[in-house]
Amino acid sequence: MSSRRDFLSGAWAAAGAGAAVAGVAAVGKALSDSPETARTVDLSPALLRKAEKEGGLVHEGLLVRGPASAPIVLDLTCTHLRCRVAPVEGGGFSCPCHGSRYDSEGRPVSGPAPRALSRPRLSPSGSGFTARLS
Amino acid sequence: MILGRLTWGLLAVAVLSGLALAPFWSAARPLESLETLTGATPWGFWLRGVHALSAWGFLAGTVAHLVEVLWKKSDRRLSPAVWWRSVALLPVAVLALLGGFLMRGDAEAQAALAVWREVSASIPLAGPLLASLLLGVPGSDLAPVALHHAGTFTLLAWLLTAEHGGALVPDLRSTVLAALGSFAAAGLLPVSLGPALAPDGALLLGPWYLLGLQGALVVLPVFAGWLLPLLLVAAFGLVRHLEGRPRAALLAFVAAWGAGYLAFTIRLLFATR
Ligand code: HEM
Ligand code: FES
Repeated sequence: MSSRRDFLSGAWAAAGAGAAVAGVAAVGKALSDSPETARTVDLSPALLRKAEKEGGLVHEGLLVRGPASAPIVLDLTCTHLRCRVAPVEGGGFSCPCHGSRYDSEGRPVSGPAPRALSRPRLSPSGSGFTARLS
Repeated sequence: MILGRLTWGLLAVAVLSGLALAPFWSAARPLESLETLTGATPWGFWLRGVHALSAWGFLAGTVAHLVEVLWKKSDRRLSPAVWWRSVALLPVAVLALLGGFLMRGDAEAQAALAVWREVSASIPLAGPLLASLLLGVPGSDLAPVALHHAGTFTLLAWLLTAEHGGALVPDLRSTVLAALGSFAAAGLLPVSLGPALAPDGALLLGPWYLLGLQGALVVLPVFAGWLLPLLLVAAFGLVRHLEGRPRAALLAFVAAWGAGYLAFTIRLLFATR
């Protein structure tokens, strides 16, 4: 019995030590990490032309549509708890996690989503654009 | 307590079948690796089933065992510290199972990962750190999730069970019984993999044991995702310290919690139709 108890208290000590090491490592990493950099997505001229021709397409979690020279881009990340929303037939978007609905401009229509889908900042790069997501 | 022994046997089966699955699973291409396993080999499907069903049995058994202990008022047999640690088995089991669900990498798992990251990050002070510690940073592969699934939470579940179970391993009879049950169930109930992408307009369901929480998050703020479970665990822990009316009141709270959880589950399932 006592050897079993010894083993268990040893195991708890080991588990505690492991957790402490992991915690310290994580804090260290968090402190040494640079602040999270925004994700960027390149929108090539070919992709923009295709989006214009097809009336919009989904690329790396973004909906790209409008003229290739001045595209409109929506981030398809739900503003509720960050699931990926999907375009639905007849326009607009729906979120598969808690059922939020957005209109075709990305404004919330129903469900728990608090804000409109965000529009990444676009900056020209070559003959295409770079989308910067916050 | 036969139920407790059988539940421990199911944990052993989950660990052994998990070890058998591990070589086939890839952190970078989780869904493809599982599709290869289930598509290419006749026993792959069955092996996944054994793992998932023994794990579900472990969770269901843990809950049933806890109810049995409270019903028989045998919680006093454990010291307060051991009681609280045994109650912690409930959230540890859920986190172990959830990690496995996330490891599927299908559309449902990806959605659950996004939501779980937000729920974890909403915990005051430690939240964001905890989220990246348990789930990795956004965009990383599933290696951290797998590490905590097969490592941290499995080890914790084992230790917490062993401590109040009074042995280091489950007895052979319970383990064989649990294995036979899991083998048969895996042959009867297919454990499917979801699609790679969400079908347009449809709701994606999380694991069955978290549907109440998914339903709750439709109407409640994000912190309900950790606060509701915390309230339940705290209530189970406190029961050990109370007698008479206060104990009955706390158990009534637990029952109300369960009824509310079931109601949220049903509400969500109706919304998907
Ligand atoms: C050494 C220990 C373990 C290893 C190596 C392991 C490995 C794995 C792997 C590779 C998967 C993905 C395969 C799939 O989804 O079919 C998985 C899934 C899963 N695991 Fe484990 N596991 C271990 C322990 C456990 C334990 C202790 C539990 C529960 C108490 C558990 C519960 C689950 C669940 C519920 C799934 C998801 C099944 C599904 O929904 O398809 N695992 N595990
Ligand atoms: S994450 Fe989109 S509705 Fe909740």
